[in-house]
Amino acid sequence: MIRGSQSGSLRDTWFGARLPEVQLTRLEALVGSASYQAGAQILREGDLTRDLGIVVQGRVALRLRVPERGMTTILTVEAGEIIGWSAVVPPHRSTSTVVAVVPTDLLLIDGAGLRAALDADPVLAAAVYQSLLEAVASRLTGTRMQLLDLFTQHRDEPW
Amino acid sequence: MVIPSSVDPGFLPRAGLDRLLDLLTADGRRVIGPTISQGAVVYDEIHRAADLPSGWTADQAPGSYRLRSTGTDRQFDYAVGPTSWKHETFPPRVPLTIGRRVNGQVTFEDAVPVAPLVAFLGVRGCEIAALLTQDTVLARGPAVDRDYAARRAAALVIAVECVTPADTCFCTSMGTGPEVTAGFDLAMTELDDGFVVRAGSPAGERLLERLELSPADEARTSAARSAVAAARELMGDPVPTGGLPARLSAAAESPRWAEIAERCLACANCTLVCPTCFCTSVTQVSDLDGLEATAERTWDSCFTLGFSRVAGGNFRPRVQDRYRQWLTHKFATWWDQFGSSGCVGCGRCITWCPVGIDVRAELLAVAPPPTELSDATTQIIGVPGPERIEAVPGPTTPALLTAMTPLSDAVESPTYSRAFVAERRRETVDTVTIRFDTDDPDLLAGRPGQFVMAALPAFSAAPISVSRFHPDGLELTIRAAGAATRAMCGLRRGDSLGLRGPMGRGWPVDAAEGHDVVIVTGGIGLAPLRPLVDALFAERTRFREISLLYGARSPSDRLYVEELSELAARPDLDVGQIVDRAGPDWFGRVGVVTSLFDQRHLDGSKAVAFVCGPERMMTATVDVLRDRGVTDDRIFVTLERHMECGVGLCGHCQLGKAFVCRDGPVFSLAEMGPAFGREGL
Repeated sequence: MIRGSQSGSLRDTWFGARLPEVQLTRLEALVGSASYQAGAQILREGDLTRDLGIVVQGRVALRLRVPERGMTTILTVEAGEIIGWSAVVPPHRSTSTVVAVVPTDLLLIDGAGLRAALDADPVLAAAVYQSLLEAVASRLTGTRMQLLDLFTQHRDEPW
Repeated sequence: MVIPSSVDPGFLPRAGLDRLLDLLTADGRRVIGPTISQGAVVYDEIHRAADLPSGWTADQAPGSYRLRSTGTDRQFDYAVGPTSWKHETFPPRVPLTIGRRVNGQVTFEDAVPVAPLVAFLGVRGCEIAALLTQDTVLARGPAVDRDYAARRAAALVIAVECVTPADTCFCTSMGTGPEVTAGFDLAMTELDDGFVVRAGSPAGERLLERLELSPADEARTSAARSAVAAARELMGDPVPTGGLPARLSAAAESPRWAEIAERCLACANCTLVCPTCFCTSVTQVSDLDGLEATAERTWDSCFTLGFSRVAGGNFRPRVQDRYRQWLTHKFATWWDQFGSSGCVGCGRCITWCPVGIDVRAELLAVAPPPTELSDATTQIIGVPGPERIEAVPGPTTPALLTAMTPLSDAVESPTYSRAFVAERRRETVDTVTIRFDTDDPDLLAGRPGQFVMAALPAFSAAPISVSRFHPDGLELTIRAAGAATRAMCGLRRGDSLGLRGPMGRGWPVDAAEGHDVVIVTGGIGLAPLRPLVDALFAERTRFREISLLYGARSPSDRLYVEELSELAARPDLDVGQIVDRAGPDWFGRVGVVTSLFDQRHLDGSKAVAFVCGPERMMTATVDVLRDRGVTDDRIFVTLERHMECGVGLCGHCQLGKAFVCRDGPVFSLAEMGPAFGREGL
C-alpha cells in the first residue's frame, strides 16, 4: 500500500458532492488516500476498521473464508462505491476481508475523526448517515438477490 | 338465432325411439347416450331405448348427487351427470406419436386418429355450447388437435332440450340454454308421450325425413316450448355476467382466493367433469427396452401441483393460485383467448366438488356485480361460433397478441423431424451446446428467441431455445436437468433426436432499429439471446450502442466463455459480466447483474432492452430499466413456463391472456401488463 495525503478529491465523489460546503471542508481535513497493487489485502475480516474508504479507481473484492472452500468473493466494489462502513458503525470490525483485485486507489476518511465529527455536527451527521444508509441498503438489496441463488442448477426434473 | 330447416318438426312417439336408434346403427354409428351406471346418469353406449334412464332424475346440490325415481316413463328428465361428451370427442388418453430407436437412430411417426362414426343422443344446450367451445380451442387454430377434429367430424349431435334443470344449473346466466338453437343435427324436446323433433343441419334433415314422422301439431310444439321456458324460469339468472371478465381481473388480489383455498382440496374434480376444460399432458408409454414408446395425450388439470412446474420451481405453488387460475381462465381470460366464456353453466363443477364449493357463490364473492346493474350494462355472454355470439363483452386486456412469426403448417402435426448431432461442446459441468444438422426448412427458417420441442423416444419432450442458427442446422444449449435432458446431453456425433418447431414468437429485432440495445441476462438465459446478438451483428449499422450484461452463479457457470471474450474485445459492443460468487482467481465483478448498470450511462429514451433469466432477476432488471426511463413497450422479456405441446393446445403455459409457448415466449412488458411478475400466475 502506498499511503499518502489526499490525492483524489472528496468533492468529486458522489459521497462528497452531497455534503454542504462547510461540512465538506471539515471532512476534507480527515481525508487521505491509498493505492494498492492487485492482490493486496486492504482489510482482514474481524480487524478494526480504521477508515471509511471510497474507491476512486480500481476494484476491490469482499471475501469470506468458507471452511473447505477457501476464500470466496461475495461482492466486488467498484469505483465510486464505499468500503469499510464498519468504521462508522460499532463494533468497528470489518465484516469481510477486502482485497484489491486490480490496482486500486482509495480515498480514506479517518474513522475516529469522522465519528467525532458526526457527534459534533448534526448537519454533517444527517448527510453522511443518509449516504451511508443508501450505500448499505443498496448492498443489502444486492446481497438478498444473491442469497436467492437464482442461477443455481436444479437437477432431477421430469424432463 | 334458430337455424331454419326446410323439414318441418315432427312428433316421435316414445315407442319410436328404437326406430331412431336403428337408423343410426344402420348408418354405422355407435350411439352414445344417457344410461344409469354406478348411481348416476352417465354417457355410454346405447343399444336400445330401454338403456335410457327411464323414470329417473337426479337431485343435485353443491357436493351432492342422488338419483331419484320420478315414477314416469320419461327418459330425459335428468340434468347433466358427471360425464360429458368430451369423453368421446377428447378422450382422457389418446396416442400422439410413436417414437422408435432403429439401428441407433430415432424415428417418429404420427399416430393416426381413429374416429368411428358416432351419434350423441341427449346433448343439452349447455353441452352443445361446450362442444362449440372446445371446437374453438382445439380445432379452429392456429394449431389443430387432429384427433379431436376427426372425432368431432364423426359425431352426429342429437340434442334433447333440458326441461328439468338441477339446482346447480346456470346455463341461463351463461347464455347457453336451456333452449337449443344451433350446433345440432337433430333437436328433440320431450313430452309425456314422445318428442317434438326438428332438424338443425342437412344431416339432421335427412335423418328426420327417414324417420317419416307425423308433423308435430301446434299443441305439442307449444307444450315443448312451454316446458323449456318453464325450465328457464326455474333457473332464473343466478350469475350476473355483466362486466364479469373485467370484475374478475380487477379482483386478482382478492383475499377471497385464500379463503376458498382453505376449503378447496385441489382434487381437480371440477376440471375433470368440466365439459370445456382441455388441459393435457404428454405421457410416455414405453416398452421395456425403450426401443418403442408412444407419446399419449392425457388429461391434466391446472389444479395439480405438477401442472405449472418448471425446472427449479413452480409458478403456482399455492392452492389459491390454482383456484384463481381456473376461475379467472374460465370466466375472464378465456374471452381474450377464444372470444367466449369458458364456462357454459352446466353446474357439474358444483355438484362434483367433494367439499361443495359453488362457483356461482364464489363469483359473487370474489367479483360482486355493481349494486345497480342496468339492462344496458348487462352483456349476454354466449358461446363461440358466429351463429351463437350475441354480444361480446370487452376483453379484460388488449386484444390477443399478434403472432410475430406465423405458425407454419408443420405445427398442426405432431411430427418430429430428425436432426443429427454434428458437433458437441461442453459449456459447464452440466450444460452442453450441440450443433444439429437438419434439412427441415421450418427449423432452418427459425428466428432468434424461438424454441423447439426436442424429443427422444421414451423421454418427455423438452422445450429448448435455439442458441444459434446455421444455414444447415441449429444449435441447442441443453442443461442436464432431468432424465430427458440428461439423455440429450449425452448424445454423440452422428446421433439423432426429434425436433419440432420452431415454436413461438421470438425477439423483435426490428424494434431495436435506431436504438441503443441493452441485453440483460443471467445463467442459461444467455442461450436464447445468442441468436439475437448474432442478428444484431449481422446488421450492426441498424443499431446504436449495444450492451450485453451477463450474470452467472460463478465464473465456471458462464456459457460461451470464449465467445464472450471475443465479444468483449469488439469496439462496437459493451460487455459486462458479473457472478454471484467467485474464488480468488476471478478478477471480474461479483454481485447481482443489476449492479452492472451502476457504472453505465443509459439514456432510457433511446434504448430497447431484451431480458432473459430467472423471473426474479428479470423483475429486478425491469425495475432498473424503468428507473432509467426505458418504457414498457421497449422492454422485452422471454418467459419460462411449463410447456408440453408448444402450440397452445395443452394449457400448461397459460399466463393471463397468453399462452407463453404460442403468444410468447417473448413479450413486451406493455403486452404483459400487471401479469408480469405477479405471484401465483
